[in-house]
Amino acid sequence: MAISKEAYSVLESIVGPEYISADPAICEGYRAGPGGYECGLGYERVMTRVPGCVVMPRTTEEVQRIVKVCNRYGIPYVPYSTGFYGARSHPHVSDALLIDLKRMDDFEIDDKHLYAVVGSGVVYSQLQEEAMKRGMYIIVGGGGSQVSAIANMIGDGWSPLSYRIGLPHRRILGTELVLPDGELVRLGSLAFQDDPFWGEGPGPDLRGLLRGFTGHRGFLGIVTRMAIKLLPFQPERLEPTGISPHTTLQLPTNRVKWINFTMPSKDSMQQAMVEMAKAEIGGAVTKVPIFWRAIARAGSKEEFWELWSKETEETIRDFHVLRVLLIGFTSEEQLEYEERVLMDIIGELGGEARRTRPTDESWFKNADSAGMWLMCGGYVSVDYVIETVEHAIPHGENYAKLKRNYTPPLMPDYGDPGWFQSFELGHQGYSEFLVYWDPSENTDGVDQFYLETSKENIRKRFYTSLLGSHQPLYLTGPAFGPNYHKWLLEVKEEFDPNHVCHPPVPLAHDAFVERAEWMKPLKDWEGPAIADEP
Amino acid sequence: MPTEKVSLDVTEAANFIFDMSRCIKCKGCTWVDHIYMPGVKYSTRCPSATRYLFDSYGAYGKMRIGLALLEGRLEYSDELLKILYACTLCGACDVGCKRNLDLEIELALEALRIQAVKDGKGPMPEHKKIAKNIMEKHNSFGAPHKNRTKWLADGIKPSPKADVLYFVGCSASYVHPEIAQATAKILDASGTPFMLLPDERCCGNILYSVGMVDEAREVAQQNIDAVRQTGAKTLLTSCAEGYRMWKVDYPKILNMSTADLGFEVVHLTEYVDGLVKDGALKLANRVDLRLTYHDPCSLSRLSEPWVPWEGERGLWGVVDPPLERRRGTNGVYQPPRDVLSSIPGVELTEMPRMRENAFCCGAGRGTKEAFPDFASWAAEQRLMEVKEVGAEAIVSACPWCKDNFSEAVGNNGSDLKVLDFSELVLSAIGSTGQGR
Repeated sequence: MAISKEAYSVLESIVGPEYISADPAICEGYRAGPGGYECGLGYERVMTRVPGCVVMPRTTEEVQRIVKVCNRYGIPYVPYSTGFYGARSHPHVSDALLIDLKRMDDFEIDDKHLYAVVGSGVVYSQLQEEAMKRGMYIIVGGGGSQVSAIANMIGDGWSPLSYRIGLPHRRILGTELVLPDGELVRLGSLAFQDDPFWGEGPGPDLRGLLRGFTGHRGFLGIVTRMAIKLLPFQPERLEPTGISPHTTLQLPTNRVKWINFTMPSKDSMQQAMVEMAKAEIGGAVTKVPIFWRAIARAGSKEEFWELWSKETEETIRDFHVLRVLLIGFTSEEQLEYEERVLMDIIGELGGEARRTRPTDESWFKNADSAGMWLMCGGYVSVDYVIETVEHAIPHGENYAKLKRNYTPPLMPDYGDPGWFQSFELGHQGYSEFLVYWDPSENTDGVDQFYLETSKENIRKRFYTSLLGSHQPLYLTGPAFGPNYHKWLLEVKEEFDPNHVCHPPVPLAHDAFVERAEWMKPLKDWEGPAIADEP
Repeated sequence: MPTEKVSLDVTEAANFIFDMSRCIKCKGCTWVDHIYMPGVKYSTRCPSATRYLFDSYGAYGKMRIGLALLEGRLEYSDELLKILYACTLCGACDVGCKRNLDLEIELALEALRIQAVKDGKGPMPEHKKIAKNIMEKHNSFGAPHKNRTKWLADGIKPSPKADVLYFVGCSASYVHPEIAQATAKILDASGTPFMLLPDERCCGNILYSVGMVDEAREVAQQNIDAVRQTGAKTLLTSCAEGYRMWKVDYPKILNMSTADLGFEVVHLTEYVDGLVKDGALKLANRVDLRLTYHDPCSLSRLSEPWVPWEGERGLWGVVDPPLERRRGTNGVYQPPRDVLSSIPGVELTEMPRMRENAFCCGAGRGTKEAFPDFASWAAEQRLMEVKEVGAEAIVSACPWCKDNFSEAVGNNGSDLKVLDFSELVLSAIGSTGQGR
């Protein structure tokens, strides 16, 4: 047994024998890879470990007690909701306790005040369906319908629908957070009454600390309960149809409509986003990456490659498809009005509407992140930039250039400059750069490219979101702080004095660079020596 | 990148290392298709992962465990065997995975059980007793072989020679004769002459399902030979498990295509649907009942025909020659619904989890024999769903489902009716052969 019999007995007394196991087969089932987000890469191989024990609490109180036991016995632990966030959501040290939160699936919804209170085990598609039954909606984060709503809200939590209803920090209301030492903090209105309707004071508001840039991946405690703001939707049902794998939501086109446009240039797409925002129309607007179109058209992996191999630098360069969602939130007339305005904007920019299916395969209820693995078997988004649309476009173009040096092992994409869109009614722009590889190949180049994107961000002053636990802290911290790394480590020390909460995060990527031979030549910054795990 | 030779041969677990190593923990195998997600209740379709909760019991855990086993990083243990066998092999994970990733999860799980038997660790002790019954007495219950045709007592007279051969199966022969009798009467009412095998024996479902592939292959070959000798053009079953064995697993373990069996395999639901749509069977009698239909796994998502495949896998995992994946899309979903909803007085209501998202009854593929508590729990989960939609009856098209649901209803004192498709159809045509 990886943890002492005494500690095991104490943990068992908290959750009951059915919900704890140190059996090797049970623990092996929680291995991070070899498949999954960022898995099959060096980071997963070098940094992750099979847990020594798995425990499944039911309540916040049980989580607190477990965490206190970990502090008392010096047991490293990792919170785990669905495990989808690949390597970084799994243990990084041997004999760790994995705290699987899936039993914490309590759910309440308040349709008068437009929020839902969820436990860590509730996933997005569940939440979205319950919201839609009551005339509300939420953003199903690009991470997928299958991810824990809480985990995604404190990490990423956006999609094209963020154009209209914004980024997730705006929707986090009263929240329960078990700190790394087991102390319970209730945020927002939960601090003084059992009503989570408000996220800011009068209680402490640690939402910035919860999320950081894009989350801390479990090294600053465990969120066990969160009230999430819901937004009013239109009243008609989006009807599920079809048999797997061809399932889709049939849209009530008098109230909800996707329209794809062929645009003459990248600049015209950007301009359309700006003009739409000025006119305050639309539910979402995004540039469609061409390989997504190929995925949608292909009936299999083999068909995808047949389609994709016909592309060239020219077809990619000249592919400008803008996808716009219109929602008649208040009435059919609203949709009609917005469609007329949209057509005027697109017409003035030289765009043309394409035939678009009256269905939604992705974003309302089903965010198809899982489909990203079909093409190659390996996938990770190496960067997210949330700044302006003007900023997003050169970000993608720079990355596309950089990527050429690492293709192969990266999938040939003929210079595709990534995915960009507009957030918060044009007040923000977003760029995401996705890369794919075959895990059977030597993937050292993928690890190196991932790190090189950080250096590119520093060189070009791109405002990346992937700092902290996602890249070497001593590389990114001085550049984006200037003392972000010191601040984060001091916060960590203050909250987790026993270093038991998901060690060695936030220094895990620093440790990876130290431990992986193929990464060492890239290290041209000052950082602490990090010993190998004993 | 060099290519590797691969095939869909389940007797070599190494064929599925690729699939085991590409699982991304999206858990599409466990959740209901997100498009159809009904909310916070009834949101999963994998009985094993829902009951035992640890990730290790979901396909994502099993793939990792299987890989560790094959790579020699993990030893067999009681827990590991429970993980492999406390699973209904219902195919929910397979269709879920093929929604996005096209990994061969079902075949990998079957291959791991075959591997466990090869390694002398599987199947479970309860399965060994059943296997002995099958090999010695030709039925899974250990009943006298001579009693197999006792269900015929009700004046039913099969033809000595006919195009349609009714393969009754163990459950309808020994435990649920009402299903066999209803089936025979329906055929009679439609004017369909049918014959039986001169000496019908177990289809071997449990043998194959628990990994005893050598024994299953022997049974398969004997049964196929016996049917071929009769000259039947159509083999009809009223049992979903038997249907899958004949249509999918016999060809699979004999390395042949379903199309090469030499006869067509048809389930009663498909056959009756055809009869009704052709006007050969009239469903005239009123049956006032609000009912819901439970999709038996082996009739629905697991029933697509088998085509052997071998080839090479190269860069990006692309295979050559092209592989027509079995994704459960073309399972038998609509025929039973069309038939039931055409019965006067029947109000067919759907449960939140239906068709490819249905939650298995818990009985099949050796589960009930080795893990009866788990099987009962699964049935109870499904019955909660039946109650939720206000149905007076649950109708399935497999005697194993009926058996397990009936037991659960008996245990919880519910007044819910548990019926087989054949019984409903018989009620609708009347039992006197007036269906034409």
